[in-house]
Amino acid sequence: MKILLARLALLALVLAAWELMPRHEIVNPLLLPPLSDVLAMLGELLQRPQVHLAIGVTAAEVAVAFLIAVPLGAALGVLIAENEYLGEVFKPVLFYVFSIPKSIFLPMFILVFGITFAQKVAYAAFTTTFVVMLSASAAVESVKQDYLLVARSYGATRMQILLRVYVPSMMPLLLEALRISMIFNFTAVMIAEMYASRAGIGHLIAGWGENFQMRQLFAGIIVLATVAILFNETVRYFEARCSTWRT
Amino acid sequence: MQHVAHLDETAIEVANLSHIYAGAQGTVPALEEISMRVGSGRFTVIVGPSGCGKTSLLMMLAGLRAQSQGTILCHGRPISDPDPKRVGVIFQEASLYPWLSALDNIEFPLSLRGARERETRQQRRARAEAMLRLVGLEGFGERFPYELSGGMKQRVSIARGLVQDPPVLLMDEPFAALDEQTRMTMGHELLRIWSTMLKTVVFITHSLTEAVYLADEVLVMSARPGRIIDRIAVNLPRPRTYEMMATDVFGQLRDRIWQQIRKTP
Ligand SMILES: Nc1ncnc2c1ncn2[C@@H]1O[C@H](COP(=O)(O)OP(=O)(O)OP(=O)(O)O)[C@@H](O)[C@H]1O
Ligand SMILES: [Mg+2]
Repeated sequence: MKILLARLALLALVLAAWELMPRHEIVNPLLLPPLSDVLAMLGELLQRPQVHLAIGVTAAEVAVAFLIAVPLGAALGVLIAENEYLGEVFKPVLFYVFSIPKSIFLPMFILVFGITFAQKVAYAAFTTTFVVMLSASAAVESVKQDYLLVARSYGATRMQILLRVYVPSMMPLLLEALRISMIFNFTAVMIAEMYASRAGIGHLIAGWGENFQMRQLFAGIIVLATVAILFNETVRYFEARCSTWRT
Repeated sequence: MQHVAHLDETAIEVANLSHIYAGAQGTVPALEEISMRVGSGRFTVIVGPSGCGKTSLLMMLAGLRAQSQGTILCHGRPISDPDPKRVGVIFQEASLYPWLSALDNIEFPLSLRGARERETRQQRRARAEAMLRLVGLEGFGERFPYELSGGMKQRVSIARGLVQDPPVLLMDEPFAALDEQTRMTMGHELLRIWSTMLKTVVFITHSLTEAVYLADEVLVMSARPGRIIDRIAVNLPRPRTYEMMATDVFGQLRDRIWQQIRKTP
């Protein structure tokens, strides 16, 4: 309870500072407009059809990329964890590629797909698949051998072992992987949109930034932050529910 | 459902069993020419130096690992795959599933075959609850493993091993992770349960006191490759009591096992 109060106090402090410091010109209001101005702009923006369209485009890109990357990455991750040979061969390569900032590949995606919806999705899915793959293979390896042995000794079938031992055992790590890969996924879509695009929130934000429209820029940031935090916290809620499964 | 044990019947018969592990750094001969016979309803304890192949042998008795050579018969039929109707296994770490409550853990083996056999959910539940009572954990069924002490977890694990009522129970150092006092109590409890259920038990331990206290017969294994180098009959009366541990006979038996283990390099 005390902690909650302290957190709320911190939030209030930040918001108050955001409002008061530009108002009293302690910071330049051209760079950081007061919170109330930003919120007013946010209300206004949310009325505009152009903004609705941008939100729709970005949401679709994020969702499609995620729906491609998660099953693909999970399947590949399980494969390299379960198959010793594939694991030995591919894991070092994966770690090398994983360490490279993926944004340097963005121009290639533009060359292949043009500045399109597919380019954003492909680039984000590409980035996210690596994260999911590495987390999924770590999740498979986290399953204790003893758990499998117990199930086998009770005559569990392969399917039963998969569904009743692997899945619940990996669940905490899988949820964490889902959460973290969404952060990467969202980031990738934003980068792709801000780098070159004709639609989407990232495109709008980049434009506002270039034109020095700081109220619009911060309103956009608030929208994105809210969506990202909501997704993150939803998954974290489920994670907390199975936190005692970790051993 | 209760298996009726006849003491003259053979529960487990192992003949000329050898095993060689093939690893990346060459082969490891783990077991050599093991032959043993365990009478039905008997409590047999296996002791031997670390790494001599006890766990390997138990895995093979359970059908969880295939031996290189030799045969294993359980109640007259060969063991090649895990057969939970004939053999129950209890591992060193209680290995309970942390996402299941104590009762659900006990019910787990039943739920696996539930789809295949006509037993209602209530009947399964009732069986699991009876096992929970048997191991003295009534009222703890809804607890999750992280809410249980080490001894309680091992009790749940024993209940899980017993729930299918297999005639043979294999136990690999089940109490090794417990403190001395809990370990003694658990040994005593196990004997109580064993005496009411007439199971054939093969029990691995490093504790010589535990070996003598529990066993009808102690098999001593040599260092790797494991062979059986001595069989020691423990003719102490049952039920065993803690007082027996202070007797000369008990001391002599323990000493004999120790001398045998010490001989092996
Ligand atoms: N899967 C395996 N592959 C290769 N070697 C193995 C394997 N399992 C066990 N071994 C080797 O076989 C030998 C016997 O192992 P095992 O676990 O059966 O011994 P143990 O008697 O149970 O030892 P402890 O008392 O320490 O539990 C050891 O030298 C071990 O390194
Ligand atoms: Mg062992």
